[in-house]
Amino acid sequence: MGDYVEALGLVFQWHVLLVIGGGTLLGLIMGALPGLTAAMAIALLLPLTFGMPPVMGMGMLLGTLCGAIAGGSVSATLLNIPGTPSSVATTLDAFPMARRGEAGRALGICIVSSFIGGVFSAIVLSLLAPPIADFALRFGPAEYFALSVFGLVIIASVSSKSLLKGLVAGLIGLLIATVGTDPVAGVQRYTFNNLSLLTGVNLLPALIGLFAVSQVLKDVVDYFGGGPVEHSKSKMDHARPRWVETLRYWRVLASSSVIGTIVGAIPGAGGSIGSFLSYDQAKKMSKTPEKFGTGHPEGIVASESSNNALVGGALIPMLTLGIPGEAATAVLMGGLMIQGISPGPTLFTDNGSIIYGIFIAFFVANIFMLLIQWFGIQLFVKVLQVPRKLLMALILMFCFIGVYAVDADIFNVYLMLGFGVLGYFLNRYDFGTAPVILGLILGPIAESNIRRALLLSSGDWSVLVTRPISLTFLLVSAAFLFFTLWQNRRQTTPHS
Amino acid sequence: MKKLLSVFGAATMLASSMTMAADYPSKNIEFIVPWSAGGGADNVVRALQPSLEKALGTTIVVRNLSGGGGAVGFSRAIASKPDGYTVTIPTNATFTLEGLGNVAFTRDDFDYIARVLVEPYVMAVRKNDAWQDLDSLSSDLKSSGKPLRIGASGVGSSTHIVSLMLGEALGLDIEVIPFDSGSAAVSAAMGGHIDGVVLNPSEVISAINGDRLTPIVTTGEERSSALPDTPTMEESGYDFELSQWRGIAAPKGLDPAIEAKWVEAVKQAVEDPQFQKAARSMGSDISPLYGEELDQFVEKTSKPLIEEARAIRQ
Repeated sequence: MGDYVEALGLVFQWHVLLVIGGGTLLGLIMGALPGLTAAMAIALLLPLTFGMPPVMGMGMLLGTLCGAIAGGSVSATLLNIPGTPSSVATTLDAFPMARRGEAGRALGICIVSSFIGGVFSAIVLSLLAPPIADFALRFGPAEYFALSVFGLVIIASVSSKSLLKGLVAGLIGLLIATVGTDPVAGVQRYTFNNLSLLTGVNLLPALIGLFAVSQVLKDVVDYFGGGPVEHSKSKMDHARPRWVETLRYWRVLASSSVIGTIVGAIPGAGGSIGSFLSYDQAKKMSKTPEKFGTGHPEGIVASESSNNALVGGALIPMLTLGIPGEAATAVLMGGLMIQGISPGPTLFTDNGSIIYGIFIAFFVANIFMLLIQWFGIQLFVKVLQVPRKLLMALILMFCFIGVYAVDADIFNVYLMLGFGVLGYFLNRYDFGTAPVILGLILGPIAESNIRRALLLSSGDWSVLVTRPISLTFLLVSAAFLFFTLWQNRRQTTPHS
Repeated sequence: MKKLLSVFGAATMLASSMTMAADYPSKNIEFIVPWSAGGGADNVVRALQPSLEKALGTTIVVRNLSGGGGAVGFSRAIASKPDGYTVTIPTNATFTLEGLGNVAFTRDDFDYIARVLVEPYVMAVRKNDAWQDLDSLSSDLKSSGKPLRIGASGVGSSTHIVSLMLGEALGLDIEVIPFDSGSAAVSAAMGGHIDGVVLNPSEVISAINGDRLTPIVTTGEERSSALPDTPTMEESGYDFELSQWRGIAAPKGLDPAIEAKWVEAVKQAVEDPQFQKAARSMGSDISPLYGEELDQFVEKTSKPLIEEARAIRQ
């Protein structure tokens, strides 16, 4: 208790609050720009924290992380360009809603859902971190494989128009995921002696190419083809946080926040699948699953509450076990270690006031995120008043800068352009791009873990069904697959 | 006349190179980190950055070129001019990349300026009452006849190679399972999915302090300051010594005068209390080495790593 009081004192000083707010604002801006990820934003601010006390420095970085994840949904909503991989699922419904002229409503739902997801995960983090971390440790190779199979089943659910085409797109993603050094035997596959491909196809250029560049290409083709260029709606609805509308979907909010927090806490589960899982879950529980993908608020609520809950979840193994789950928390952990604090169980006993200070700073960062977006929402929607021609040119510029900035590797820029062309054709012929991303994210996790599982079992496949967590995921995956097929059938039969 | 001209030419060249060295540094220095921000090497560079900047009197720009597990960054570094304005951070990965044959550079393409930090490799195993130390571990494994399943931080990484070397040196049947990162291997060991890991202390220290992993043996010259109670291989009676290290290197052909300035700067930087604190918390030992001694160290460390990496490839 004394630690908590001391921690409150560490956070509630005007300069600490100012720094957390500043970090959140910067994170929002960087997250909203395609190509600049949360990890990059944190790495940029990291040197500034060296001279700060730990809680102040970590507070700033946590603010940046929250802001970047929330900012990713702004570009996802307005432009159909996810700023971060975890906002891909947001584009599925937020962009169609914005295209109807309801950008303010879509953003309003995003803001409230993000805030609730973030606060939920902050509460879980401060109350339940150790037991959740213990649960996460029970994930061995077999469990990770089963989890990724569970994720791959979602492809059936996010391919809105045709299941078969969605599967084709998912397989394209899986195929591309095989490029790079074989994760177990070390053999090179499809690298063509290109150093940049040794570690496989980088996710970010693929993401930006598939979503942003393909959109720009479509506009360019429409413009020169003399076809109808999609003009932004001049009519603008009132942009403000939508509390009542969002809270009406409290069931989706609750289940998505839980899913986001837990998936975030499992290190290396490919954090961004959390928002897909929640989206899928919401669609299955919904009374109106056919509305998903057409600008349905439930879809936005599911994805956004989940991707902000991921942040708190990801902090659980980082702070309690010293295991960072993905890039952004790895940079955060680096920041802590440079401060002379080593994360892990001893952090709770040796530096109680610091860890509670970090919890409180995370709460505060979520509140700043809400406030900044609350005031900023009016500005965000103004982006749509920029003539589409100019906007697309600007977006393309940011894509180049962002993708080059990942590794300062020009090859990634070519990769992005290649994926742009691929994405253009996939969209044009209704294959969709979200399944490709799912395949790309989950392919390596599935492959390396099934091989590790078989190495450990000396080639015995029964490990997949004799381990309870693995068996559960596989059974649920099978059930979901049949359920989705049945749901699809029910939706199509009335027409035939 | 011709002779006079050539002497004159040589003199101006010498003079210009001297002024270059005297002016150095007259612009920003690029520090290429061949891994992404937040990794072990990146943390070291960012912790060194402020005091190096102060000592050299210029700005150091850290560039993370993280493609190909270090291959892209190192290749870019050796392709740049050896004018002292591009440096990188050599580690054992520089050698294992060469051994695996994925890259066009060799260890001889670098001018090694300094070794700054060393950390040994540590073998740590999951909690098991029969596995308290090296003796109890070996006898238990020999009586059960089971292999020891060790997680490494990636296929062909130095931890993978050192795991194999440790198996040979200790006469144990070690089966290496490559993971995607050190932390993934640690979490698999903590969860009991594998028997243990061979990693650097910074990656296992949280798990050891949390009483989830037991450190068995380290491979350093001396005991690691992060694990003062864990014996080294040499103390345990094996002739085996190999450490991970992090230093500063430039592309081959660096002007000795510029190298001397760097050595001075590094000497000042390692005295900085802020850096010392950071190094301690990262589980590394500050162990600077320069010049001739450094070249010997590189020779001694790189040879077995490159040989063993070649063997993995076949």
